[in-house]
Amino acid sequence: MSKKVLVVDDDPDVRSFVVTVLEENLYIPLVARDGVEGLEMIEKASPDLVILDVLMPRGSGIRLYRHLKTDPVFKNLPVIMFTGIALRSFLKSQKALDEFKGGKIPMPEIYLEKPVEPEELVRAIQKKIG
Amino acid sequence: MEIRKILFVTKFEDLCYDALNSLLSLQKAFLDHVVFLNVIERDKVSMRRGKGYLKEEEVKLKEMANIRFIDWAENLFEMGLEVGAYMEVSSLIPEILRVVEKESPDLIVIGHSHKGVLEQLYTGSEVTELIRRITVPILVFKHMVEDKIVPEKLFARPLFATNWSETGEKAVEYIKDMKNVIGEIHIMHVVKEAALKSSDTHGVQKVRKVERKRLDDLCDELEDAGINARPHVYVGDPQKEIIKAAKEYQASMIILGSSDKAAILERWVGSVSKNIADKSIFPCLLIPGDKINC
Repeated sequence: MSKKVLVVDDDPDVRSFVVTVLEENLYIPLVARDGVEGLEMIEKASPDLVILDVLMPRGSGIRLYRHLKTDPVFKNLPVIMFTGIALRSFLKSQKALDEFKGGKIPMPEIYLEKPVEPEELVRAIQKKIG
Repeated sequence: MEIRKILFVTKFEDLCYDALNSLLSLQKAFLDHVVFLNVIERDKVSMRRGKGYLKEEEVKLKEMANIRFIDWAENLFEMGLEVGAYMEVSSLIPEILRVVEKESPDLIVIGHSHKGVLEQLYTGSEVTELIRRITVPILVFKHMVEDKIVPEKLFARPLFATNWSETGEKAVEYIKDMKNVIGEIHIMHVVKEAALKSSDTHGVQKVRKVERKRLDDLCDELEDAGINARPHVYVGDPQKEIIKAAKEYQASMIILGSSDKAAILERWVGSVSKNIADKSIFPCLLIPGDKINC
């Protein structure tokens, strides 16, 4: 059975790029436009993988990633970060939040800085969910 | 009232990172979330006779805003703040109202109106119109005294603008030798607008990614040498953007590789480094190249 992949990104061009890549590789695409919609969709549709942007309205990918990784229900849900924000800043932000909010969270296994070629995205998806 | 979320409305003219930075003391008043809004007025991308809708212009303007917002957001994220951003082609007031509806900010920060006296007379100022239509407090930000920045410590926070030239490389070696006096260095590269010509975001983002990677590598190189360094990609006219960055990051001085242009050419058309040294309010350290032009 095809696996469901949720793309959370506020940029329609990026969403359509990822959806095309997913469809061409026989995954079922789901979309959300911001962090709040993203969490709602995760709770409602139980995707097998989340492709997550960072800088978005109504809830950033930094907070959503942190939420998922500290939630016992979602902590094992695979996440690919896909963003224009540099990894270096992402790591520093999580470190700052570790101090403020307490508790360390695992670093993302796959962090893709935009833009990437379709093949690189497919490889990342396949690495996480086959 | 606790100010947890700010909506920061900017046209990148008079309301930039330095203004935002001056607001971060609000963290003591529970500030936890900053939302950026840049509205591209419709007439900048609207139909032109024989040209149609200017899609390329829209992509370019949105990505220019995106690049600035990414740079700002990285700083704020690193402080543990939550950040969001909107870049829309719209009209200013309706767009602010739409974002206020979605985000429910506790404070709106906006620059003073750029409408002329006559225009204000007929249509009112943006601030007046906003106050009339929403209940959220608005902070109209103004620079109290234009350009009055006095560096207390000259080497505390220099800005190094590199164009990846030979003189830029030489400047890096010079900077490394100053590691004991430099507090934190901001390193920037200005991408010229012409380099962003593409009808899709992919092409434009690629340009930024390449430049950002080069800056990251340079920062790593300087951090290995014991200097705290922060990278920034800007877009536009190098002279204007370098001065803008120096203001935004409250630079104590600007470090530049001096021009590679021949002296006669420089005399006629000037150079970025010379013009900044002559005209900006910042102290400038010019690093000359090895070869002498005459």
